[in-house]
Amino acid sequence: MKKILVVLALTLPASAMAAGENNVGCGWGSKVFDGQSGIAPQVLAATSNSFYGTQTFAITSGTSGCTQDGTVRSSWKTALFIDGNKDKLARDMSVGSGETLDSLAHLLGVQSQDRAAFDRAAKQNVARIFSTEAAATNDIMAALRDVLSSDAQLTRYTAAL
Amino acid sequence: MTAGFFFVLRLLSVLAALLAPAAVLAADPAYLAELVARSREQRLAERPEWHKLVHYVPNVIAPGVHSLVDSPGFFNAPDGKTDPRAELEATLAQFFVPVEETAERQEAQCTFVARREWLDEKLGFDAGRLPRAACRRYAEWHEALNAKSLTVVFASAYVNNPSSMYGHTLLRVDAADQTERTRLLAYTVNFAANTNETNGLVFAAKGLLGGYPGTYSILPYYIKVREYNDMENRDLWEYQLDLKPEEVERVVRHTWELLSAYYQYFFFDENCSYHLLRLLQVAQPELDLASPFRWWALPSDTVRELTRHPGLVANVVYRPANATIIGARLRALSAPERRIAKELSLRMAGIDDARLAALAPERAAAVLETGHDYVNYRRATGEKDVPDPGVLARELLIARSRLDVPGQAPRTNPGTRPDQGHGSARIGIGAGRDAGRSFQELDMRASYHDLVDDDAGYVRGAQIQFFRTALRHYDNGRARIERFTPLDMMSLAPRSDFFQPMSWRISAGWRRSRVENGSEPLALDVNGGVGAAWELGERALAYALGEGSTRVHHDLRSGISIGAGGRVGALYDPAPRWRVHAYAQVLAPVLGERDSPRAFGLEQRLSLKRDVALRLDLSRRRESRIERNAASLSLLLYF
Repeated sequence: MKKILVVLALTLPASAMAAGENNVGCGWGSKVFDGQSGIAPQVLAATSNSFYGTQTFAITSGTSGCTQDGTVRSSWKTALFIDGNKDKLARDMSVGSGETLDSLAHLLGVQSQDRAAFDRAAKQNVARIFSTEAAATNDIMAALRDVLSSDAQLTRYTAAL
Repeated sequence: MTAGFFFVLRLLSVLAALLAPAAVLAADPAYLAELVARSREQRLAERPEWHKLVHYVPNVIAPGVHSLVDSPGFFNAPDGKTDPRAELEATLAQFFVPVEETAERQEAQCTFVARREWLDEKLGFDAGRLPRAACRRYAEWHEALNAKSLTVVFASAYVNNPSSMYGHTLLRVDAADQTERTRLLAYTVNFAANTNETNGLVFAAKGLLGGYPGTYSILPYYIKVREYNDMENRDLWEYQLDLKPEEVERVVRHTWELLSAYYQYFFFDENCSYHLLRLLQVAQPELDLASPFRWWALPSDTVRELTRHPGLVANVVYRPANATIIGARLRALSAPERRIAKELSLRMAGIDDARLAALAPERAAAVLETGHDYVNYRRATGEKDVPDPGVLARELLIARSRLDVPGQAPRTNPGTRPDQGHGSARIGIGAGRDAGRSFQELDMRASYHDLVDDDAGYVRGAQIQFFRTALRHYDNGRARIERFTPLDMMSLAPRSDFFQPMSWRISAGWRRSRVENGSEPLALDVNGGVGAAWELGERALAYALGEGSTRVHHDLRSGISIGAGGRVGALYDPAPRWRVHAYAQVLAPVLGERDSPRAFGLEQRLSLKRDVALRLDLSRRRESRIERNAASLSLLLYF
C-alpha cells in the first residue's frame, strides 16, 4: 500500500502536491491556445479541423482563457462557449431556437424583448455565420458581429464578441 | 561516526520541529493557546463536521481513524492523516502564518476556507488577534461560480464501453444568474481518475486496483454534456437539490479545499460517486450520505440514496443523449420520410430532392433535422460513410434554416428514473428439479441487472452481473456450489436502418456441467459471443450470436474443452410486469471433450413489486450425450 502511494506521489506533477495549489487549469483545450496570442488566433488554433470533432478536449493547465483554479475568464466566456458548441450552435441557429442559442444570447446579454429578433437574425444568417464546414471560432465571432451590427435593434450586443 | 552523524540529524530534525511551531506561535502564541484550549474543551476534533472536512473514516481493524485523502498537502500536522486533534490544532496554528498570496502560494486560511469558516463559527476568531486573510484567488473563483444551488448529474451506463458500465455522477454548481435554459453555462465539479489511458479494459483493470490518482476538477457543464450526451450517447439525469444558501456555501468552500487534493481511485468503492457524496454531505452537519457506500458505491445507488433523504431532491430533469433524440425523431417520421432522411445523410439524395420539396414545410424540417443529427451521430461514433460529413451537415442545416417553421424535435419519453429502478443487488430463493432430483437453491448477485429483470431505470438489453453465486442443496443431502460467476455481461443493442451496433456477451466463472467420465465438476468456464439484435415491435427483441466456450478442469478429457457454436434468443413482454426469454444454444467440439452440448430454455419473470419478483426457469440440456430436464421456481428480492 505504502509503495503504491509513493509511486503515485512520484507520478503526480510536483505542483499538485504543494499545499493549497489548485493546479487544475481549465481542464480542457490545450490545443485551443497552442502558442498563439490574442483571443481569435488562439481559439482558432484548435478548431480548424474539429467542427464536428470526436475528440474530447485534452486535459491541460495553464491556458490563458481560464484561471489557474479552473474557471473561465469573463472576457473569454463567449469565445470558449462558441468553441465548445459549434455543431449544436449551428443546429440551433438553423432552427431559430434551442438551449445552445439561449445560452449564447445570455452570454451576449440579449434582453428578452430582443430575443425574437436575435433568433431570427441567427436563423436567417446561419450560412454567413458558419461560412464553411470548418469555420474557426474567430470567424464565427466576426461574422456574428457583422450580422448583429447590421441590425439596428441588435447592434448593441456586439460588445461581448 | 555513522551513529554520530545520525544523532546530529535527529537533533536537527527535533530542533526544526521545535522551531517551526515557535515561528508560528510568534504571531500571537497566547491567542493560539487559547483557541487550542477552547477547541479541546468543545471537543471539536471529535465533531462530525471536522471528520467530514478532513475525510476521516474508521480504520478497518485497528481502532482509530484515517483520512481517505492521500495528498500530503491536505494535512497541516505530520500525523494529520490519522490524528484528527493534531490536525485541528496544527490547522489553527497555520492560520496564524501570514503568507503573501501569489499564483504559487496562498495562506492556510485560504487553502482551507471551509475549515476556517467552521472553526471561526465554533471558536469565534478575534479578527484583531487572528487577522482574516483576504484570499483573493478564492474570492475570484467563488465569484466566477456565483453559486446559488447544486445539482447532482447522473450519466447513465453505456454498456458497450466497460469503463462506463455503472454510470457516472458529477456535481453541477448552478449560478445565481442562470435559468433552466442556460444551465449549460454552469460549472461542474467532477471527480475522476487522472489518466490519459484510452484503452477501456486497461482503464477498468487498473481502476479496480486503485492504480490511478483521483482528483477533482472544475469544468463548464457544456463540456460534460458534449462528452456524455453527444459523443458517448449517454442520457443524463439532473437531480436538483433543495439546499439553503449557507449549505450550498459550505459545499462550495469545501470544493475549493479538495481541488488540490488527490485520492487513490478505486472503481467500486472510492469512486466518483462515493467522493461526490462525501463532498455533498458537508452541506449539513448531520447529513450522512456516504457511509452506506464505504465499500461499494454504484452511481445509480448513490442517486437513489439522495432521494431517500426527504426534501433533499427538489426536482429531476432528463437530458436525452443525441442517439436518444434521433430515436425519438425517427419514431415521429413516416417510412418514406425516414428513407429520405437516411438518403440525405448518406448523400444518396441531395437537398434539392423532389420528394423533400413535395413535403409540407414542417415535415421537410423534421426530415432535415433528423438527417443533420444523424450525420453528426455517425461522425461522433467514428463511422466514415461520407467523405465530408462537415460539409454535408452544413448543407442540411442551411436548407433547414430556409424553412420558416419552428423546431420539430419531438419530446423524448424519459422513462423510469435511474433511482426508481429495482435494487442493484439480488437474492433468489427457489426450489426445483434437475435430472429427476429435487433441490433447493440460493442464488445471490452483488449487482446489477440481467436481461430478464425489469428494465425500468436501466439500459434495455444491457446485462451486467457481478459475483453471481448459486448454492444448491439436493434432497439426497448433498449441498454444493452450483455456479460462481464473477463477471457476466451482455449487450443486446437492436439494429435498424439507422443504427447498426454489435451485440455481444462475455461470461467468466465456474459452473457445473456433466462431462464424459460421468462426474459434474465445477469447471472454470469462460465463454462469449458476438452478433446482432433486432427489435420486433415495441415489446420484443430477438438476437443471434456466434459463440465460443472454453472449460478447464482435470475431470475433462485433456483437462480442457473448447467448443464453438451459436446462440439465438428472444425477449418478449406479454404484459408490463411479465417477461419471457426463450433461448437455444449449440456448441460443437473443437478440442478436448467430444461432446456437443446443447441447451434450450424458457425463463420468465413476473414482478410483484418493484423489488420483488417470481422467476420460473425451464430448460432442456444435453451434456455428454445425456439429455436432462430442469425446472425451478424462485422468489427474487432486490435491494
